[in-house]
Amino acid sequence: MPVSLADILALLPEILLSLGALLLMMTEVFLAGARRGYQALLAALFTAAAFAAFLAQRGGGPRVLFGGFAVSDGFALFAGATICAGLLVTVVLGAGFLAPRSAERGEFYALALLAAAGMCLLVRAEDLLFVFIALELMSVPTYALVAYLRTGDRPSEAAFKYFLLGAFSSALFLYGAALVFGATGRTSLSGIAAAGGGKLLLAGLALVIAGLSFKIAAVPFHMWAPDVYEGASTPVTAFMAVGVKAASFAVLTRILVTAFGAPALAAVWQPLVVALALLTMVFGNLLALTQRNVKRMLAYSSVAHAGYLLVAVAAASRGFSGPSARGEAVSSLLFYLAAYTLTTAGAFGALAALERMGPDPQPWDLDRFAGLAKRRPWAAAATAMLMLSLAGIPPTVGFIGKLLVFKAAVDAGLVPLAIAGVLASVVGLYYYLRVVVVMYMQPAPLGSVPTPASWPLDLVLVATATLVLLFGLAPAGLANAALSSTGLLGG
Amino acid sequence: MLAVSQLGSWLPIALLFLVAAGLALALASVSALVGPRRARGVHDESFECGSEAIGSARERFGVKFYVVALLFIVFDVEGVFLYPWAVLFRELAWPGLAAMGFFVATLAIGLVYVWKKGALDWEH
Repeated sequence: MPVSLADILALLPEILLSLGALLLMMTEVFLAGARRGYQALLAALFTAAAFAAFLAQRGGGPRVLFGGFAVSDGFALFAGATICAGLLVTVVLGAGFLAPRSAERGEFYALALLAAAGMCLLVRAEDLLFVFIALELMSVPTYALVAYLRTGDRPSEAAFKYFLLGAFSSALFLYGAALVFGATGRTSLSGIAAAGGGKLLLAGLALVIAGLSFKIAAVPFHMWAPDVYEGASTPVTAFMAVGVKAASFAVLTRILVTAFGAPALAAVWQPLVVALALLTMVFGNLLALTQRNVKRMLAYSSVAHAGYLLVAVAAASRGFSGPSARGEAVSSLLFYLAAYTLTTAGAFGALAALERMGPDPQPWDLDRFAGLAKRRPWAAAATAMLMLSLAGIPPTVGFIGKLLVFKAAVDAGLVPLAIAGVLASVVGLYYYLRVVVVMYMQPAPLGSVPTPASWPLDLVLVATATLVLLFGLAPAGLANAALSSTGLLGG
Repeated sequence: MLAVSQLGSWLPIALLFLVAAGLALALASVSALVGPRRARGVHDESFECGSEAIGSARERFGVKFYVVALLFIVFDVEGVFLYPWAVLFRELAWPGLAAMGFFVATLAIGLVYVWKKGALDWEH
């Protein structure tokens, strides 16, 4: 396998993230004092550098790295930049959330950076073995992060559930990859596409989809999501909802479009993905309706959003739509991922800003939002903006994202699915707007102690809300960037 | 059916078996003849590694064992990676050395981390 310096340089973002993680671990044992604010700064710097490296690599054509194990193409670069943006928000959230709880440690940032390195490798994987290794590099630090803040038994329970189901889904994926290898004799995605195969290949395809469906929390593989999202500390939940989902969606799309993009195979997986999308949109929204616990509500909301994203994946099947329609679908997926990352990370930031310090039987109840508009008008306005974006109401980026995804579905001939998606998002209006109603129209309950403001959390709220509004009013830049990033190598 | 001449090539292996068996026998009998006999108490048990050899499996044991086992696996796997690299050392040349150097350096940072964190300190 010839390895050139250019191949290694192409992995600069991942190298920066890994070096940052190692450095943070060393600061933890050599420079650990009472003040740890510099660690968040260090993590943020490395993340920003990785983000900049992804942006700087745009423009060059798609390239194969390490003799076909990975690629550097527009799709990977856009998804990688999205993941780094999500990580940046997570780092700032972590600083604002952990420091007042005296739980800020270098390990938190190191684990997040390592997991993000895995995610960035995952979105550029071009070989099923490489996918598996990147998948594990993403998952193992995330298991540890879920158990990071060990107050009470909730985090341990969440981490154990996530670990068991994560290991199970990895095993499913690996079994699928083995069957695909058995059917085609190849592990590289372009090799699988060239080889073709019979029933064994279809069994492998089904298992690969099932394994990745766990990671993106699509119904009926979503059971773990609410418990794990609720049990993990809020910055970690934001990281899981944003990073893990974005990376898994990117790799799912790449595998389906590149390795199984032939019309005969796409005709098999498109109905599967359509069914998953339908179930996920309907049940995600219906289950979110009944939640008074806002953290669980956001967990189910992230399940529902996986449904909208699956609509874009279904539209990207090549069997029924031309190459231009597929490009439109992939670009709508990328745009939605970016919009979803900003909005969801910000929404969990709002939750983190309202969480109390000590033990609290109902830390995320809807009442916590009551009277917020009087107490902290700016935080309330930002939270309202994020909720509107999650619901998909103009003039926010969430609206543009839904518009692009449903337009891509209609252009790919999936009109009923697009209609179902619009109806499901109408259901979503109720529980997103309920938070806004409670903030603006209900007085704070008597005798409640407001959580003191913390500037990193306010920064996250204001920055994400501003970007959500900005990209909603002027989406052309982001949409064009997504449209020019649809070049999947070999797809 | 093997020819007799072919059987000759198995002679070194047969010799190895003989030496191994002879050595084991010799050492065991020397130990039985000259060694002191204190067959009482803990000396009757098969190993002295912290947990009871015979009894219920649902016993509590020190979490320190877990850390040591985990660290053992890490460095065991390092050995697994180092071995094929050592075999192909010349073919892989400088890129191989650089890659391995980076790998071992990363592990060394991990070792420094666990050391400074006190994971290797059995008393604490």
